[in-house]
Amino acid sequence: MTAPTLGAATAAVPPRRRSTSWTAARRVVLRKPGRVIGLGILVFFALMAILGPYLYPGQLAVDPESIYAPPSGAHWLGTDFAGSDVLQEIVVGARYVLLTASLSALFTAVVGTGVGLVAGYHRGLADSVLMRATDFILTIPAFPLLIVLSTVWSFANPLEMSLVLGLTGWGGVARAVRSQTLSLRERGFLEAARGLGLPTRHIIVKELLPNIAPYVAMQLLLSVIGFIGAEVGLFFLGVVPFSSSNWGVMLNQAVFAGGAMNSPEALGYLLAPLVCILLLTLGVVLFLDAVDELFNPRLRERS
Amino acid sequence: MKGLTRRLLVRLGTGLVMVWVVATFTFFLVHALPGNPGDAQYEQYLTQGMAPETARAKVAVIYGFTSHEPLLQQYTSYMWQLLQGNLGVSISYTGEPVVQVIRAALPWTLFPVLTGLVVSFLVGVTAGVVAAVRRSSRWGGLLSLSGSLVAGVPSFVLALLLAFLFHTLWQILPFGDTSDVTLEPGFNGPYIASVISHAVLPVATYALLSYGGWLLAMKSSVVSVLGDDFILASELRGITPLTRMRYIARNAILPLFTVLALSLGFMFGGSVLIEDIFDYPGLGNLLLKSIGARDYPLMGGAFLLITVAIVLANILAELLYSVIDPRVRR
Repeated sequence: MTAPTLGAATAAVPPRRRSTSWTAARRVVLRKPGRVIGLGILVFFALMAILGPYLYPGQLAVDPESIYAPPSGAHWLGTDFAGSDVLQEIVVGARYVLLTASLSALFTAVVGTGVGLVAGYHRGLADSVLMRATDFILTIPAFPLLIVLSTVWSFANPLEMSLVLGLTGWGGVARAVRSQTLSLRERGFLEAARGLGLPTRHIIVKELLPNIAPYVAMQLLLSVIGFIGAEVGLFFLGVVPFSSSNWGVMLNQAVFAGGAMNSPEALGYLLAPLVCILLLTLGVVLFLDAVDELFNPRLRERS
Repeated sequence: MKGLTRRLLVRLGTGLVMVWVVATFTFFLVHALPGNPGDAQYEQYLTQGMAPETARAKVAVIYGFTSHEPLLQQYTSYMWQLLQGNLGVSISYTGEPVVQVIRAALPWTLFPVLTGLVVSFLVGVTAGVVAAVRRSSRWGGLLSLSGSLVAGVPSFVLALLLAFLFHTLWQILPFGDTSDVTLEPGFNGPYIASVISHAVLPVATYALLSYGGWLLAMKSSVVSVLGDDFILASELRGITPLTRMRYIARNAILPLFTVLALSLGFMFGGSVLIEDIFDYPGLGNLLLKSIGARDYPLMGGAFLLITVAIVLANILAELLYSVIDPRVRR
């Protein structure tokens, strides 16, 4: 008889805490119109990636009667070299692009945070070895490396692509997390935790990680744009086999097959993926401003 | 001074290790390939009716090793060739040594990258100072936003947009190759004018690519210097704003040398995409073409050289930093 009431009592506490942090987040986002626009853009593309393939089921329609048609009522963004609707291609292609970029960012966050925490907390030999590895990852020319790798490994499916991208991109996160850890480990609450004889695992996971999470989240958002650029670039150059239609494949065909650089007819076809990437970048940059303020209370008080 | 030489030696050491790792990586890449290109070439020579010994010798000239030797021996002979500056023979540029092909392409990467770097440094740093001083006004905010936006946009998006706007739509600037092919290369007016006009778009792309980094770094640096006591003191002494600006700029510019190494790496890495879009015959274009043509010796050479360029840029940045900031030298 006591168990349900206990459960109800413990369940009642977290929602209230959550709701206050939610209202704080809402206040921060609503303070500047730019942040609302940024969040709106991100939500819009996320919905496109999730719902897109359901919106246009089946294959791309090919219409030889209207090749390179200008934007019209039937084709809002015009048509491509095969007469397919550009808008449909953009919407359907969004899932691959965003899924891969998010997976890569997740991979980067896990590896980068792990390396940075261990290096910053233990210092000494582990630190110098891990930081040498981080420097190595940071200096190696990532994009040329990806192109060279593509000769032996056709990593076109989302999981492999994000693995490869993540492996070349965790250096920045590791460095940021390490410097945060180095400064946090001298703070009072961590000294207290060490003095209490808490196990290292507890200190790292329960004390350090929550304090570092905001920085990781910001790095994550920034790295998503970088990964979108890298994967779309690989498809654009045509070094990765085309498994499905996505923004990079569209750009490749617009520039190299469609001759978009010499004929303004392919305008919608060429510009649509470019504008999508630009908008996504704008969305992330605008929204980062809000995230920054949310996690840096000093900024909040000043403005 | 001792600290400086030690740090430079460490940099040089890690750089050499990096170049070695990349060379080893490309060596094993060529070996891990399905149907090993060296073997395929060897088989092809045999079917052309060549004697096995001559065929083997020819393959050895191209790749620096033959797959008929034990792996370790192949590796050592490849590395020995590399140490002597021999990168093998290109396949797609029939019989030309890889070193020669790369030497022809290198200036066409260095020239736009370095010009773009200088332009973006001048514009970005100036904009960064303005964005910091006017950070509470609307224009300052817009300036910082432009920096973060441009810093985030992928290089090929910038390149394609510039090419489309200035070449296809408005038809102001030429596009593709380094100059008009009908002109005689040499020191004459029309040729130089053509080279410059063909370089405008790639240079602008490189410049935009690193503009955001300079702006953001300079802005945060100036903001932190503005809070220093000596600025307040100089203000109280009635020193003119222009002179005060000089004090601020000289102190704020120091941390920027870390950005230098970063943006050079960014530009060399991005050269693959940018040179491909503008059809500019530099290193990145060479790397991409060699992959398309399955020209593995050339691919390895181009990749190695891009890595060397980035390692050198890092060492250079470190050196410049310690020359300019006397505090580091101690």
